[in-house]
Amino acid sequence: MGAKLNGQAYTTAAVKQFRFKEKYTLFLMALPFLVLVFLFAYLPLYGWIYAFYDYRPGIPLSQTEFVGLQWFTSLVSNPYQMEEVLRVLRNTFAISTLGILTSVLPVIFAIFLMEIKSPSFKKIVQTLTTLPNFISWVLVYSFAFMLFSVDNGFLNNLLMNMGLIERPLNILASDNHTWLSMTLWGVWKGLGWGAILYIAAITGIDPELYEAARVDGAGRFRLMWHVTVPGIMPTFFVLLILGIAGFINNGFEQYFVFSNAMNMSKIEVLDLYVYNVGVVNNNFGFATAVSILKSIVSLILLFAANSLSKLVRGEGVI
Amino acid sequence: MTKRKKWTTAAFAIIAMFVFLSACSGSAGSNSGSNKGNNAGTEVSTDPSQQSEITLNVFSNLANYAGEQPGWFAKLVKDKFNIKLNIISGGQQKASTMMAAGDLGDIAVAIDIKDAIKAGLLLDWNKDGLLDKYGPALKEYAGESLEANSKQYGGGTAVYAVGNNIGSGDGPSEGAKMTYGPMLRWDLYQQLGSPEIKTLEDYLAVIKQMQELSPKSDSGKPVYGFSLWSDWDGVMSVNVKAMGQFYGFNEGDGFNIAELMMTKADEAKWQGVLDEDSYYMRGLKFFFEANKMGLLDPDSLTQKFPDVVNKYTDGQVLFAQFPWLTDGYNTEDRLSAGKGFAFVPFTEEKVFSSGYNPYGGTWHWVIGAKTKHPERVMQFMNWLYSPEGVQEATAGPKGLTWDIVDGKPTLTEFGYQAVSNSVDMPAEYGGGKFSDGGNKINNSTLTTSMINPETGEPYDYTMWSSYLNNKPDPVTKSWREAMGAVTMKDYVVKNNKVAVQPPYFSEQAKAEEPSDIKQKKAEVGKVIKEYSWKMMFAKDDNEFASLKEAMVTKAKGLGYDDVIKFQVDNYEKTVGAALKK
Repeated sequence: MGAKLNGQAYTTAAVKQFRFKEKYTLFLMALPFLVLVFLFAYLPLYGWIYAFYDYRPGIPLSQTEFVGLQWFTSLVSNPYQMEEVLRVLRNTFAISTLGILTSVLPVIFAIFLMEIKSPSFKKIVQTLTTLPNFISWVLVYSFAFMLFSVDNGFLNNLLMNMGLIERPLNILASDNHTWLSMTLWGVWKGLGWGAILYIAAITGIDPELYEAARVDGAGRFRLMWHVTVPGIMPTFFVLLILGIAGFINNGFEQYFVFSNAMNMSKIEVLDLYVYNVGVVNNNFGFATAVSILKSIVSLILLFAANSLSKLVRGEGVI
Repeated sequence: MTKRKKWTTAAFAIIAMFVFLSACSGSAGSNSGSNKGNNAGTEVSTDPSQQSEITLNVFSNLANYAGEQPGWFAKLVKDKFNIKLNIISGGQQKASTMMAAGDLGDIAVAIDIKDAIKAGLLLDWNKDGLLDKYGPALKEYAGESLEANSKQYGGGTAVYAVGNNIGSGDGPSEGAKMTYGPMLRWDLYQQLGSPEIKTLEDYLAVIKQMQELSPKSDSGKPVYGFSLWSDWDGVMSVNVKAMGQFYGFNEGDGFNIAELMMTKADEAKWQGVLDEDSYYMRGLKFFFEANKMGLLDPDSLTQKFPDVVNKYTDGQVLFAQFPWLTDGYNTEDRLSAGKGFAFVPFTEEKVFSSGYNPYGGTWHWVIGAKTKHPERVMQFMNWLYSPEGVQEATAGPKGLTWDIVDGKPTLTEFGYQAVSNSVDMPAEYGGGKFSDGGNKINNSTLTTSMINPETGEPYDYTMWSSYLNNKPDPVTKSWREAMGAVTMKDYVVKNNKVAVQPPYFSEQAKAEEPSDIKQKKAEVGKVIKEYSWKMMFAKDDNEFASLKEAMVTKAKGLGYDDVIKFQVDNYEKTVGAALKK
């Protein structure tokens, strides 16, 4: 610190005064962000109160019926209801697990992408793979519909013309491999985007490490394995732990646009369930109750993942 | 970094924060200050068109359009009132947001008025004698609706809303066409020699033969009997429900919250959708059989409504549950070539129809409590409910698309072309097609099949004698000869094939839905929707039966019986009791 470097020239009082001022300054600098965090992360927690009311938009809470824990207990009110909740949780966990498993794909993709020598080809590949991230799920679905619809879908036309199938396949209205196909759509959309952080991490690796390894006789794959991979491991673990914390929030849009009666029992994840039961019917109390439960589960998962990381790698992110 | 620089950074960060915060409150402010118009506007001139220009924010739950009202309707309103309409569309979620924000804009349409009144978001039309001063037509033509609303929601003194679709008289309130069909491709049906159709299920064999006659559409795609869509489904499939509507049963009872039951229009009869012999179950079986015969579009489950419209337009579908589905196919070119959809009823049919209702429907028109221009909003609403307003909103500007010829309202030469959307409207009327320039609020005021006292004929131009006698196309001509009637409504009335729901009035507002019933209904509805589609596409009879059993077991397990009990109790106390008398 500046005060220490020039310590001899100041009296103790002056140092103290300066430290006081410095603290003040640092606090002021952080203040705007603290306010923002408070406004956007803590203030909304006040909204949890709606979980205990039969809230109707426009009517103040004081005039709203207090229902206590009704929305929470309704989730487990009878065997059929519990079966529904379990089914939804099963879908959420299955799709999230597949999502976590496929989160190594952007790492692999980034490593191989960085090995491409031709800069223009590299750029093209990166642009083409990043682009899908910016297409909304609604458009992705209309694209999927064009490809896979029974009546005049591209795939069915192709297969029929080639004489490979006799009856058109109804791929979108089927509950075979729903979890897997949803994951694949997610990978297609997020691969290039997910790789950006790793590419940045790879660029940050000290070139001397590569040179030293090369001097030691390492080939291309050994360089990748012994220099690049350890170099981006910290980034990967931070994202993995955050990913585990978001295990239960695996999104809504994708499942909403792809859902239909045939695949509903497999595709209905927690967020979609809350939408179908809560939001569609203006039942905001129920929707809030589920989101409280979600937040609690996310917190538990985050700390669990963090302790696991401490145990395995000797360091966590929190 | 010097001290000074640090302070600069800190100051900059603080300023940035203020910008953030003021941006937040700024947007909130512009949301709550709903009026775009810049004048406080309490002054009201005797000639409404001489007042300063204002923009009214109109929220409509029924609008399929967002933004400033375009076209000829915008010009009418601008010329008469110097008002521009900013249409805000959006479903229940948008309505909830506006309710929670405490401001419904200037006019709102088809919202939950009970909660809005409780929240104090609606303007009392009797305040300052607003209705007396600026609403003479409302009082004259919608008086009973105003009174009923006042009794139900305003304690007999305040008036917060007026119902939609207000009319009085006997018989169906529809125009030339009914709300429910079924319609078939008339040309193909004629080619088959118009085989007799006794029950709903008889359509299947006929449609199969029609499909064999016309296996490819205009653009060479496969032709199906039926093409359905799922994106409008509430607690059941909209398309399956239509099968009940052919038999005079409709979802709910028109007054209470009662979506899991269907009630007969003109008798005190009800059925739960899951009853063994309900028309809903029969509809599921009908589409299941259709699918077995290769008549059901396999994309029905995955496509959205606009895809279905395209299929109708291309001629890929032979059967239409709702007459308005056929507009895309029945173009002038096709009709004059003798191809088109027309109403083909079955012997057992008793099509559901809403009768004229002096109290109006439940898609209420209301005025937001925070409007800055109550007088001008009332003037505009008054016009919407006046014969002049209803007539022009329906048939377009007088003198352009229609006029009085020999004492009778008649579409002009241009009007005939305009209403079939084959020419553009003139540039000074905003250009575009006639249908693009219509009233985008998309809610009715007076029933358009009522007689306009100023012309002596209905407001609806498709019911004018001049329109009906104007060189009918070959399809209409052959249909009229075969059926012995001029219009669809004419036919069902003459042949007693219609079940008309009488208006219902109660001084009590409808019963509120308890929170647990609301949630159970949502869960049950989800199961019914999902299994309905699975049943329609079941592979064989065994799968159909087992899916049906699973649906009933699951729905009952989730509380179907409790919901039905709540709904039936309300029905029997109100609408059902009235029908028994």
